[in-house]
Amino acid sequence: MYGMNQLNNVLSAISHPTRRAIIGRLANGPARFLEIAKPFDTALNAVTKHLKSLERAGLIERKKQGREVFISFRGEPLREVAGWVHEYERFWHTHLDQFEQYFKDKKKKEKKR
Amino acid sequence: MTKSTKTIEFKFERTIPAPPGEVFDAWLNPKIPGNPWNAADKLLLNSKVDGFFYWTFKGTPHYGRFTEVERPARIQHTWMSPNTLGQESTVTVTFQKNGENTLMTLVHSDLPDDDKARSHEKGWNYFLNIFPEQFGNASRK
Repeated sequence: MYGMNQLNNVLSAISHPTRRAIIGRLANGPARFLEIAKPFDTALNAVTKHLKSLERAGLIERKKQGREVFISFRGEPLREVAGWVHEYERFWHTHLDQFEQYFKDKKKKEKKR
Repeated sequence: MTKSTKTIEFKFERTIPAPPGEVFDAWLNPKIPGNPWNAADKLLLNSKVDGFFYWTFKGTPHYGRFTEVERPARIQHTWMSPNTLGQESTVTVTFQKNGENTLMTLVHSDLPDDDKARSHEKGWNYFLNIFPEQFGNASRK
């Protein structure tokens, strides 16, 4: 059975735009650490932390080839998570996020006046 | 029709930066983004006790009947759609004052829990939307 902790790890891993961008990069094929870090305007240790989060979720794996380490994407955890996501779980999350954002934007505008 | 005995319930909470009365009214106003009526292609809405609603979203029909409308604290209505497999599910929304904000809680209960309702295919589309076409390519490797 797919554990709740693992589900949380995967959802947490894909909740950050940088980590989604890393997955997008790795979906094209395995890459070295510096190749992954290059497009991001962020410190290398921040990229390391993002990779650890993805690794904890099982979304990436590291393989040594000679002296080099290649990082590759694993799709299986996302397939498992998809099975957990009920139509209405997505529906209400999306709608309530929009509803909350509407009031946040409204409050910001009122403060500016 | 045989009723599915296995049901599932989802609970969501949001803190909304406005008083309960304002949030309550916004939830029933189709012009406000985020409430279920806002994105409807076709909408009939009578938000009084025993009033009905009908709306379609991307061609999928939804029906329901309001069972509780208590401004500013609580709204409850039934909810039927192809995703409830013809069964009547229940949506309960409560608005609780929390300082200057409102703690809004939405519970969608009595949902049939089976593979059709979980909708694996749609689940995949959700992720495919997040990770454009590269993800689809990678998952086939």
